[in-house]
Formats: sequence, C-alpha cells, structure tokens
Amino acid sequence: MKVVIRTDKLSKYYGKGGEIKAVDKLDLEVYEGETFGLLGPNGAGKTTTVRLLNCIIKPTGGTATVNGFDILKKETEVKRVTGLLAESPGLYEKLSAKEFLEFIGALYDVPNDILPERIDDLLKLFELYDRRDDLLEGYSRGMKQKVLIAAALIHDPPILFLDEPTSMLDPRAALMVKDLIKKLANSAGKTIFICSHILPIVEEICDRIGIINQGKLIAIGTVDEIVAQTRTRTLEEAFIAITGGVEEKELLAWREHKGAGA
Amino acid sequence: MPVPKWLVVARNEYRIHTSRIRRIRTYFPHLVTGLLAVYVAFIAPSFARLFIDDFLAFILSQVALAMVQIILFLIFIYFIIIPITQTLREVQTEQLEIFLAAPIKPSDVLLGEFMGQMPFYAIFVTIIAGFFTAVLNPLGLDMLQIVIIIGIFVVTILSAFWIGNVIAAILRAKFGKTARGRDIGKALALIMALPLVALVYGIQFGGIFEVLSDPGASGNIKAFLSLLPSSWGAEVIVGFASNPGNIGAVGFETLTRVGGLVVFFIAVLFLGTKAANRAYSLEPTTFTVSRAKPDGAFYKTVKYLGGGGSFGTLLVSVFKDYSRRLENLSKIAYIVGLIVMMNIFIVGPRLSEQYELGLILPLLMIQFMFPILAVFVAGEVTLRGKEALFIYRKTPSGVGRFIKARLIQGWLTVVPIAAAVTVLSTSLSPQTTFISLLTNTGLGALIAAGNVAIALGLFLLIPAFSEKSVRFMLNVLIVIFVSIESFVIPLFGLMRVLPNLDTVARLLYVLLLQTALGWLVGIVFLFLGSKNLNRIE
Repeated sequence: MKVVIRTDKLSKYYGKGGEIKAVDKLDLEVYEGETFGLLGPNGAGKTTTVRLLNCIIKPTGGTATVNGFDILKKETEVKRVTGLLAESPGLYEKLSAKEFLEFIGALYDVPNDILPERIDDLLKLFELYDRRDDLLEGYSRGMKQKVLIAAALIHDPPILFLDEPTSMLDPRAALMVKDLIKKLANSAGKTIFICSHILPIVEEICDRIGIINQGKLIAIGTVDEIVAQTRTRTLEEAFIAITGGVEEKELLAWREHKGAGA
Repeated sequence: MPVPKWLVVARNEYRIHTSRIRRIRTYFPHLVTGLLAVYVAFIAPSFARLFIDDFLAFILSQVALAMVQIILFLIFIYFIIIPITQTLREVQTEQLEIFLAAPIKPSDVLLGEFMGQMPFYAIFVTIIAGFFTAVLNPLGLDMLQIVIIIGIFVVTILSAFWIGNVIAAILRAKFGKTARGRDIGKALALIMALPLVALVYGIQFGGIFEVLSDPGASGNIKAFLSLLPSSWGAEVIVGFASNPGNIGAVGFETLTRVGGLVVFFIAVLFLGTKAANRAYSLEPTTFTVSRAKPDGAFYKTVKYLGGGGSFGTLLVSVFKDYSRRLENLSKIAYIVGLIVMMNIFIVGPRLSEQYELGLILPLLMIQFMFPILAVFVAGEVTLRGKEALFIYRKTPSGVGRFIKARLIQGWLTVVPIAAAVTVLSTSLSPQTTFISLLTNTGLGALIAAGNVAIALGLFLLIPAFSEKSVRFMLNVLIVIFVSIESFVIPLFGLMRVLPNLDTVARLLYVLLLQTALGWLVGIVFLFLGSKNLNRIE
C-alpha cells in the first residue's frame, strides 16, 4: 500500500531548551485511502501534529512527507493536497456561508467554472442551502461546523485532516458526517486523518488508530490490536490503560473532609 | 488564469467590511463616489469660503509651515493608530489558521487585507485632500500643484495606514494566542490614544500658536518636525501657497520632498511585506501561565471590610476578577490621564485668572469625568455576559449579595481615585486652604460614589453585554446626562431662589445638592436594577 503521510522523528519542542515536548520524535505512516484516527488526552500533541503536517507551524526536529511532498521544502504543494478542519477554526462571521466558501475556494484556486456548482452541492449536502445567504454570525455552532467541513472539502483534496469533526454536531448531523467520512474513504479513495475524543466514532470509522500522550506515539494499530496489546475489553479501557486515569477509589475523597456534608 | 491571491483576500476583506450594507453593496461604490464628488465640488469649497480670509492669512504667515507639519503629523499618527487600536480591541487569531493552511504567502494576506480596506481609506483621503484643495484653490494654484497636493495626502495617509496595518498584524500574532495577550491588547488599545489626546490638548489649550509665533521656538519645532516623513509634504504645500501657479520657484524642494515621500512609501511597503511572516504565525509566543498569588494585605483588608465571612470572600472574588484584567486597569489609567491633562492644559492656566473661583473650580471641572470613570468600573458588571450573572441568580440570596459586592468594589476602586485626583487638582490652586481641600475632596468622593451607584444600577436595569452595543452607549449617555442635569438643575434653581448668593457659596451648595440628587437617582436605579437582574433571561 502506498504511504501518503510519513513522519520521520517529527518533533516540536517549545520553551527554553525545548523542555515542553508537544510532539516528540513521532514516527508514523498513514496509507492511501485509509481512515486514521489519532487519539490522546488534552494537550497530548494531536493538534500540533495536524498543524505540523499542514505546514501551519514548523517542526523543531525531524520531518514528514504528505502525498510525497516534504513539509519543509514543498509547503505550497502540501497545502494544495490537504483539506483541514481545525480544532478551533475561525470563521468570518460577517460573511454568508456562500461567500465564505467562495473565499476558501478562491484561496485554493478552485476554477471559477466549477466553484459555484460545488458550493451549491456542498451546501445542499449539509442542508444549509436555504440559508446560504445568511451571515455566519447567525448560525448555530453545529451549522458553523458543517460550513467548515464543507470548506475543508471545497478543493476536493486527496487528504483530509479532521480535528474533532463531530464534536459540535447534533446526533443527526454527526451521523451524516460519519457516513460522509466513510463514503469519502471507501468510494472516493480519500485518505482521512481524524483527531477525536469521541471514541465510539473513531472505533467505528477508523481503519487504524494511534494513541499519543505527552507528544509521544505510544500505541498504533487497529482497534482490536490495541485492545489486545493492553489486555482490556474495549477501546475506552485500552485508552485509559495507556494514558492513565483517575482510580475509582479517589472519586469521592473530597467528601471525607470535615463539613463537606453541609 | 487564477486570480492573484492578494486580490482574493482583498475582495474578502471588502465583503466583511460591507456586510452590514450587503443589499446595496453593488451600488455602494457609485453612491460613495457620487457623494464624494458633491463634497469636493460643492460642500468643501462652500465650507472653505466661511473662513477663507483667515485661512489665507494663516497659510502665508510665519506659523503656517509648523502648523501644517503638526496637522499632517497628527493625521499620520492617527491613521497609524486606527488599525492598531481596532485590531487590539478585538484580537482574533482564529482566521490565521485558514490562511496558514492554504497555499498563500503571508505577504499576499497582508497586502490583501490592506487593499480590501483601501476603498475606505480612500474616502478619508478624499475628504482631507478635498478640504485642503478647496482652501488652497483661491490662492490660484495651477493644476499640477493641486495634483501634487492630492498626491501628497494620498501617499502620506496610505503610508500611515500601511504601517498601522503591519504593526497591527504583528501585534495580533503576538497577543492573540493567549487570553493574557488579548487582555494586554485591549489595555494597550485604550492607553495608546493618550499621547495623541495630549497633543490635541496641547494644540487646543496649550498655547502652541503663541510658541510657534516666536521665531526661535518655531524654528526648533520646525527643525524637529522636518525629520518626519509626514512633514515633507507640508513643506511642499506651504511652498505652493507662497508661489501659486509657479511650481518652478519651489521645483527643487518639490522634487526632493515628494520624491522622499514616495521612496518612504515604497520602503515601508517593502519592509512590511518582509515582516509579514512574523505577522502570520501560529507559533506560541509564551508558555507562561498567569498564576494567582496568595492573598496579600490588600485583599485581606477587602475581605475584612466585607465582614470576613462568605460575603468577604465574595467581595474579594469580585475584586480579583475585576482588577486582574489589564483592560479594566487601563480604562482607569486612561481617565486619570485625561484628568491630569485637563489639569495641566485647562484647569491650571485658568486658576490664576479665576481668583474667586479658585477654591472650587478644579472640582467643578474634573467632577464631570467621574461618571465616565464610574461607567468604566461599575458598567463592567454585565459585560462578561449573562452566564456570569446567572451564577448569582442560582445561589441563595445571590442577587442581593452580588449587587452589594459590586457596589462596594466600585466604591473601593472609584472613590480613592476620585479623592486623590481632587486633592491633586485642588492643590494646584493658590487659593486652596486646608478646609477647602477637605471640602472638595469629600464632595468629590461623594459625587463619585453616587456616580458608581447610578452606573451600577443603570447597567443592571439596562444590561449591556458588549461595549459595542447600543445599550452600552445609551447607558454611558444616560449616566453623563444624569450627572450634568443633577448639576444644572440645582445651579439654575439656586440662581432663581437665592439670586444674591456669593458665587463660590452658590457653587458649593450646587455641588452638595448635586451629590444628594446623584445618590437619590443611584438608589432608585439600584433598586430597579436589582429587580431587573432577577428577570434577565
């Protein structure tokens, strides 16, 4: 299978002497047409990894290739072949959904003879067509998330990075996005790199997952392989076993103090 | 062929700025062009005719060059500051990710953002250049001179805007990534206007005309100003005014100054695009997390003043939340700065002239700043949003305790400042006695405390959840109106009832009545505000 994302000791250190290791010597391979999930607790390095692979920030060590393009030497080419739904993305609230997608399409050089139709199709897909001229400031968080997913798809890139794609969506929209991701991977041959906290979704749609903690990749494989490696029963248990969690006996310790029952 | 990326960004920027008038966006440029044409052809010349004789005398006088240099310098600095303050007031870096993930160079983004705002800058340029052309035209300037003058304004203002945009973009990248940084940005946005205000006060009240009339002092100021690019155009304009229709008489000066201005513009354009990489970055700028220190003597005293128990803790919490925002502290610093400038430029020079009023004049003048200080401090109550208020609604007796805590916090913040500035202002008067100092300070403190009650009650009665909202502006106007009316009504009332009363005594009674009225209105607003807080949904 062709490798489309390959990281080679990819590192991003911050602070004096690089004491904060956001991503630490990450070695990872993602195959063409694969849906890969990167899991990890808050601050584990997921978003930093996505930003490095999209040439938004520069690594302090190592490198990576995306669709064969080196992220250090071929920034523009990398950006052309990827679509990104960022974790906390900015929308231009004073634009309508249609205007925003026109803007993003133009940034990615989508030809003018294709762009209007594609915008309409995407807005219809996400059930936003009737509100295409409303300013984004009037949209709910879920609707904004749909617009952002549409923006990530606007130039039809072969590789999609989706950072928490369903976190703000209602169950119906989340199901639609989940089905869309499956279709993009299975029918359109897209490679999809997902970061998420929602384990059931990752479990359902990802072919393989990686678990990252404190910048280091500490587990990689299919869900079954990871569950087997950790000798647990579910992905949730495996995740807790790998990344650590609060022991049950500690949960009510706060009540034991004097006067807590008042 | 793909559209240039800077044009894509510029078009987007233009759309954002015209989103409120989307319905007429197509006609907007024609409408504005038409209105500006009317302004340039009719309004500006008609306006100029009102004072053309005085202006012509001025432009040919000794002070003209330095004054035009100062005016252009003010315009230059003002147009640098506009984009910076606009950006700092609401630092947003979320959109950066869109640009950084897309195949576009940072210099294209910077240029596009600038070009997208260009049509609005062009309006400013036309208004200013149109005015100057109208007032200079009667001198008999030829077409080339007029074109060069317009060109000077265009290049000067565009250079300033570009510099402002570049600095704003760099500051956005610097401050926008952390809450602390955004707070610093908001604080800076207000404070950075103070030097400009000082300069305007200096020109308006500081006797700068008299200084410029003195050839020695004027020469030094001109020599200093001539180093600034904003002044180069001024030299050409004044040169044209002295030699209308005869560009050859000032040909060398025109060539060097206008050439210098153009080179300056190209240089800042080049340097700005080079700085773009620093302006569009999501690399974290700091990993320092603001940490709370253990309560010191101040907070322990505040807690003690609050009774030491749970209310004391609540009061300290309200105080901490307020005082740890640099934005809030900068607002206080801004008002204190304005009061200091009022004393230097307005109150101080008049104290020697107003012998009789010297006892009370300082308080009389500065007390009109207290309502704004009160709004800045107490008006903050609703600016953190409804959710923050609902916390108190949820707790037993929460609303009453919250209002009490905010009122005490407002008093503990505003009253000492009002008292301190009153002491300083009153001390400037040679007529001040110990008794008048005590009286003024006490009155100043009481007036300010009343203003806090008015502002707090009003903002609870008419909650403003954003400083940009109409309600916020309305509340500010109401507080100022109440403050002025509570002064004016007793003033005219006493003039009618006790017409023979000594002026100082009358003003003292007016201030006493004003204090009482202010407190009365404050209590009513607080009562109504507390009722409304329970109803906010």
